Amino acid sequence: MFSCVGLSKSFDKTLFDDFNLELEPGEIVAITGPSGCGKTTLLRCISGLENLDKGEILFSGHNITNLPAEERKIGLIFQKPVLYPHLNVGKNLKLASKNADISVALDEVNLSGFEKRSVHTLSGGEGQRVALARALLAEPSVLLLDEPFSSLDEELSKKLVIDVRNLLKKRNCPAILVTHNNIIAKDFADIIISLN
Amino acid sequence: MHNKYLGTASVCVFLTLILAPLWLAFDRLVWVAGFDIFSWINSLDENYISQGVLEFTVLQALLSSLVTLAIGIPVAWQLGRYEWPFQSLIRSILTMPFVMPSIVAAMGFMHIVGNEGLNIRTNANTWFATLIIAHAWFNISLVIRFCEPVLSTLDPKMEEQMRLLPAGKSKLGRLRNLWLPLMIPSIAAAACMTFVFSFTSFALVRWITLGENTLESMMAGVGSSAGISGYMVSKNEVILGSSLIQFTILLFSLWLMSWLQMKRQTLLPTTSETVAKSKNVLGWSVILPAICFAILPLLTIMIASFRINEVDASGSNQYWSLAGWEYAFSTTNSLPSAWDALQNSVGYALITLLIALPLGYILAQTIRDLEKERPKLARVVDLLTMLPFAVSSVMIGLGVMLGMIRIDAEFFYSIWFTPILAHVMITTPFVVRIILPALRSLEPKYEECARTLGLTNIQRFFIIEIPLLRGSILVAAIFIMAMSMGEFGASWVITRNSDWTTLPIIIDSIRSIPYNNPLTTPAANAVSTVLMLIALVLFVSTEKFRPTRDGGMF
Repeated sequence: MFSCVGLSKSFDKTLFDDFNLELEPGEIVAITGPSGCGKTTLLRCISGLENLDKGEILFSGHNITNLPAEERKIGLIFQKPVLYPHLNVGKNLKLASKNADISVALDEVNLSGFEKRSVHTLSGGEGQRVALARALLAEPSVLLLDEPFSSLDEELSKKLVIDVRNLLKKRNCPAILVTHNNIIAKDFADIIISLN
Repeated sequence: MHNKYLGTASVCVFLTLILAPLWLAFDRLVWVAGFDIFSWINSLDENYISQGVLEFTVLQALLSSLVTLAIGIPVAWQLGRYEWPFQSLIRSILTMPFVMPSIVAAMGFMHIVGNEGLNIRTNANTWFATLIIAHAWFNISLVIRFCEPVLSTLDPKMEEQMRLLPAGKSKLGRLRNLWLPLMIPSIAAAACMTFVFSFTSFALVRWITLGENTLESMMAGVGSSAGISGYMVSKNEVILGSSLIQFTILLFSLWLMSWLQMKRQTLLPTTSETVAKSKNVLGWSVILPAICFAILPLLTIMIASFRINEVDASGSNQYWSLAGWEYAFSTTNSLPSAWDALQNSVGYALITLLIALPLGYILAQTIRDLEKERPKLARVVDLLTMLPFAVSSVMIGLGVMLGMIRIDAEFFYSIWFTPILAHVMITTPFVVRIILPALRSLEPKYEECARTLGLTNIQRFFIIEIPLLRGSILVAAIFIMAMSMGEFGASWVITRNSDWTTLPIIIDSIRSIPYNNPLTTPAANAVSTVLMLIALVLFVSTEKFRPTRDGGMF
C-alpha cells in the first residue's frame, strides 16, 4: 500500500494543502487540473525532488518522507522523455538495473532490437517507451507520470495510453498520472482526482 | 559532485592559494617601504625608473585596442555574414594567435622587424607601431569570437523586416539601426578585453620595445631587488604604487567586461535554424590578408630557426642549417638544454592540470549549487574566483616570489614545485569560466531523472555529469596545459633565480645572449617553434572538443 497523508506545499501561493491519497497495488490514479495548479509539484514532492512543507509519504507502513529521491524507489516519467544523449538505448536502460535483461524490457514496450540505437534517432513516442521501460526496470514502488502523453500527436498518444496502462496492470505497479487532459485521464486511470 | 563540505573546502583552498602569497608579498613590501598609499603613488612620478610608465602603458593599450578593432571588425563581418569555403579552418587560423604564448609572438615579430627581416626596429617610431600591431595580432581573435556569432546567428527575419521599414532601406540605415546597436556590446567587450591584455602585456613589451616599459614589465624588472630590508626602498614603493594602479584599472575593466557580457547576451536574438548565406568574392580582399597576418609571424619563426647569420669583419654570411636546433637542445655552460626546459614545462603543466582542473571544477559546481539556493553568495564566490584576472601574471609571480622570501626563501627556491603555485593561480579562474557555463546549460532533468532511477551522488557524477560535460572538461584541460606551457610573466619572475627553467624562459634566456653568437637567434626560434607546435596541437584539440555555443568566454 502506498499512501500520501496530509501533504502540503506552498511557494508564493498554496499549491496543495492536506492532500491525501491511498494506492493499492496495480491501482492507477489520474490527477487533473489546470496549468499551474501544482500537479507537477505534487509529483516532484512525492518523488523527493522537492521538499514538502507538511505531510508524510508511506510505503508498506514505512515512512519514506525524509529519504532522498534516489533511495525512495519511486519512478518518475517526465513530460518529455529524459534520455541521456551520451548513452545508447541499452545503456540508458542499464542505468536502472545493471543485471536486467534489456531485450525483455524492450519487448514489453514494443521496441525489440532497439538496444544499440542512439537516443537521437528515436521519435517522441519511442523515447517515451524507452523512458517507461527504464523506469519499470528500476522496479518502483509506485510510478509517477508527469503528462508523458501531452507532447505526442493524438493517435500515438491514444495507443501509448492503452499500452502503458496494460503494462502497469500486468506488472501490478501502482501509478499516479498528472494531466490536464480529461479524456486521457479517463482512458488511463481507475480513479480521477481533480486538483483545484 | 554535489557536496557542500567539498565546495566550502575548495573555496577555502582557492582563497588561500590566491590570497596568501599576495598578502605575504604585500606585507613584505610594506615592511620595507612603510604603509603610505600617497607615497607609493607619488613614487611613480618621482622615481626615474617609473616616470612616464603609466602614461605609456595606457597609451599603448588604448591604441592597441583601436587597431585591433579596426582590423578585427571587417574580418568578423565577412566571416559572419557570408559563406566561405573551409569556414571553420579559416576561423581556426584567425583565432589561433590568441593561444600562442606571448614569447613566441615576440620572437616572430622581432624577426620580421629585426635586422634579419625588414630591419626597421632601430627606429623608435617603428618599434612602437610594431608593438601595437603585435598586440592587434594577438587580440584579433577576441573581436572575431565576440562579434562573429552576433552576425552569423542573427535571425534573418530581423534584417528582412528592417529592409521593409523606411529606416532600413539603405545599407547605411540597416547598419545604423540594426547591426551597430546589436554589435556595440560585443565590440566594446572585445575592446575591453584587448585593453586588459595589452595593458598587462609583458613578453612583447620586453622584446619589441627598446627600453620603454609598461607597468607590468617595470614591475618584473625591479621585482628582483624588492622585499629586502633597507635596500632600494623606493623600488618597493614603485611596486606597491604600480600594483595598486594596475589592480584598480584591471578590476574596473573586468567589471565593465562582465557588464558588457551580460548586455551582449540579452541582445542576441538568435535563430537555431541554419541561415543561408551568400558568397562574397570581394570579401577575399579582407580574409586573405588577415590569414597572412595571422600566419606570418609563426611561419617566420619556423623558417628563422634554420637560418644562420654569421657576421665578421668581411661582412655577413647567411646559410641554412640545423645548428640552431642543435645548440638549443644541448647544454651549454650558461644554459640548460631545451630538453630540460621541455621536461619542466610538461611536468609543470601536468601537475597544474591535476590541481587546477578538479579545483576549478568543484568551484564551478559550488557556484552552480549556490545559484539555486543562495544566489547572492553565489555571486560573491563567482567574483572571488575572478579575482586573479585582476592580478596580472607578473603581479602573481611577484606575489609568489616575495611570499616565498617572507616564509623561507632558501627552501622555496630549492623545490621544483614552486612555479606550479603561480600556474595554478593563473589557470584555475579559466577552468571556472569554462566549466560554469557548461554546468548552467546542463538540463536539470538529467540529474533529477538519475535520482529517481536510484543512482547515488557518486554514480551520477561519473555516469551522467562527467560524460555530458566531457567536451567542456577537455577544453578546460587543454586550456590549462596550453596556458601553463606558454606562461611567461610569473615564471620569469619566479624561475629566473632558480634552476627550474621552462620553455618560454629558455627562449628568453637564449635570446638574451649577446649577438656575437650567430646561433642564439635560430636557437631561440627553434625552441619557439617547439612551443608554437605544442600550442597549435593543443589549440586544434580544443576546437575539436569545444561544445557549440556553450556561452563560455574562452
